[in-house]
Amino acid sequence: MSVTQTSTNAAPGTKCWSCGKIAGGHFCSACGKIQPLPRGTSYFEFFALPEKLQIDPEALEQQFHKLSWKLHPDNFMRADEFERNLSLERSSELNDAYRALRDPLTRVEYLLAHKGMRKEGAAKQQAPPELLEEVFELNESLDELRDARAAGEDLAALRARLESAEQDFQEKLEAVDAELDQVRTEWDAVIEAAEADRAKLLTRMNEILNRRSYIRNLVAGVAKELADA
Amino acid sequence: MGKIVGIDLGTTYSLVAYMDAATNEPKCIVGPYGSALCPSVVSVDADGTIVTGEAARRRLLTQSERTIYSVKRLMGRSVEDIQSELKIFPFRIDPTSSNVIRVQLGDKVFTPPEISAFILRELKSWAEDFFHETVDRAVITVPAYFNDAQRQATKDAGRIAGLEVLRLVNEPTAAALAYGLHKQKRGKVAVYDFGGGTFDISILKLISTDEGDIYQVLSTNGDTHLGGDDIDNALLALARAEIQKQFSVDLSAHPEHIQELRKALIRAKHDLSSAAKTSIQVALPDGLIYSREISLREFDELIKPIVARTMEPVRKALADAKLAAKDMDEVVLVGGSTRIPLVRKTVGDYFGRAPHCELNPDEVVALGAAVQADILDSGVKTMLLLDVTPLSLGIETMGGVVAKIIPRNSTIPASAQEMFTTGVENQTAIDLHVLQGERELAKDCRSLARFQLKVPPGPAGLARVEVKFLIDANGILQVAARDLRTGQEHSIEVQPSYGLNDTEVERMLEESIEFAEQDFSERQLIEARNEADTILKATERTLQREDLSQLSREERGTIDESVIKLRAAVAGTDYKEVRAQIDKLNEATTHLAELVMNGALQTALQGKRLDEV
Repeated sequence: MSVTQTSTNAAPGTKCWSCGKIAGGHFCSACGKIQPLPRGTSYFEFFALPEKLQIDPEALEQQFHKLSWKLHPDNFMRADEFERNLSLERSSELNDAYRALRDPLTRVEYLLAHKGMRKEGAAKQQAPPELLEEVFELNESLDELRDARAAGEDLAALRARLESAEQDFQEKLEAVDAELDQVRTEWDAVIEAAEADRAKLLTRMNEILNRRSYIRNLVAGVAKELADA
Repeated sequence: MGKIVGIDLGTTYSLVAYMDAATNEPKCIVGPYGSALCPSVVSVDADGTIVTGEAARRRLLTQSERTIYSVKRLMGRSVEDIQSELKIFPFRIDPTSSNVIRVQLGDKVFTPPEISAFILRELKSWAEDFFHETVDRAVITVPAYFNDAQRQATKDAGRIAGLEVLRLVNEPTAAALAYGLHKQKRGKVAVYDFGGGTFDISILKLISTDEGDIYQVLSTNGDTHLGGDDIDNALLALARAEIQKQFSVDLSAHPEHIQELRKALIRAKHDLSSAAKTSIQVALPDGLIYSREISLREFDELIKPIVARTMEPVRKALADAKLAAKDMDEVVLVGGSTRIPLVRKTVGDYFGRAPHCELNPDEVVALGAAVQADILDSGVKTMLLLDVTPLSLGIETMGGVVAKIIPRNSTIPASAQEMFTTGVENQTAIDLHVLQGERELAKDCRSLARFQLKVPPGPAGLARVEVKFLIDANGILQVAARDLRTGQEHSIEVQPSYGLNDTEVERMLEESIEFAEQDFSERQLIEARNEADTILKATERTLQREDLSQLSREERGTIDESVIKLRAAVAGTDYKEVRAQIDKLNEATTHLAELVMNGALQTALQGKRLDEV
């Protein structure tokens, strides 16, 4: 690995570094030179998309290929170091943005992170209150399964109970996904609405994601125990 | 600037290819032994002379202590990494090796990038002899599953060999490029690349766009220590055990006999790609002879576990691409080990379709590298490779847990930004540890580097340093840091965990020139000067001795002028200028030469009878 210095970004909406005309977007519309990426550009802005959660995956992929063709470092092998670094900066941002936006779930996670709503790790591991009872039962069954396995006892009954619990949680996961879909649609509909209304939706999405991640971990844990048993 | 080539720096063989302007097709360059395959073998003479390629391979039998093969297995690795390999490979590791392995060859010691550089220099000279021009830039291929240290070591090898490495391209991707060109195919392609020492599987999507074709890698997986070498070693282990049992001979003390046996077994392996059985006969110490028949069935049984090891990465790559085996439109086989019938059958059965193997599996990677080299050199883009990073990038957090910041199979270039702050008052530095790998704990991942962010003293949590991790188009990590409070850029001291620093690479570059042949232009200059010397002497001699009455004053003037100009060119260092002046002098002396020839002819004829003529 090697260490480089960060290139200094021009403030947004400034003049083209090369020809001095007002430049916007990836390239200067006057001279065609690649432009620095303004700090704080969102992934949606990078793709010139509205901040909506429903995105046509094929259109996004096409746009990704189009921009890849223009921004990739292959195009700048003969350019000077400054332009080569701009290409590296913009093409890596393109790939990062596409990675985040192409999957509906990471798209929501990105939006929440971009809005400062979501921090890695923090609230995820707390059991949602409405699930406490079921989670408690599940953990008990898992303990019994481990004990029974250690003692070499018959696991069939326990297995059946766990499989049914797994099924149960799997259904809950699907319900959560449906709920998330609903909020996504609501979010897209109020794209012009007041900040406070949108903030409420973001809070709801964050809560749904936490619940989703918790249930998913549970399901994965049960599946692993069942596979080992 | 000189020419640019594509190089496949392989475990067993290396190749160099170029883009043929006349046909617009990539071609491999054939070396002095009549083959495009240059054995990746290096040998050191008693007098320190370096021998590479086929000449070195022949020395495996006679001077195995001074000769090394499969050095690619050592690239970017530490001494601890290779303990298991040392049991199988006759590498002689210098006991003082620290974070970079040093290999003993005769009485000299080299790092793996230096040894690889000797192979690269050999290929460079093949290409220079072919073009009659300097070659100073290259695209070099690496296994897709190579980590940062292995890639950096390959790049260092290029630099030591006097090549600017414009790009490292993943081998299966290069193969897909050559294949796609050839077949004009679109759709989802699985490239199964089983070479001499490495195994890669890449899942690609070939897309036609208005601008041109895009080769997008969706996922890749592999094993950088699984290849034909392992099959050879399995055969060798079997044979040595039988020899021990049959003759009570332990070959450990007879390295030359081991190499002889290995060679015979490799030949048998090749035979079994097209025959149902074969036999070997090898001379042992004390006039004993080991002789036996090997059937394809027995061979298949022996290598089954090795072939099976390739299938786990295949499953993982498909899962990461969110695709099933049946979703593949094409399956392409690359690498010499895919000639083995069991490999073809296993892959064919898994994907439910006959794999493609029309292109020479040895050459296809080098051909793809030549295509990419041409694109980078000409600036005319006809296609675009979008590759991925094979391993997740992470940083060590509290309790030795790794936080993944760039997931595996992210399209490169890829980046991630992380914010760091101080935990205690007046802390002046933040320690960072960067790793690559899929495991949860830092101790199970590959350490790339440790470095410190310097911060001004102050209350805990006040400092805010943003670190940008960026994986470039070569799959190599770059790190940059910025203090968000002051807006200042940080200088970071990075100590690579495994690998050479810049000063070491520079020193090796200097040393390698001493060892290896002179650079092409130097060589050309010496040759041109020698030729100029001969012509100048002959011209002077003629002008002094011959009767020049038939030469016009004008002609004489031109000759004198050309002599002066050639002398001036010889005093310079531009071999092209020397050649140009040689041509001019030759032209100026054409008439003189004719006169001399006629005169000489007359002299020779005088005093001889007609029937003697």
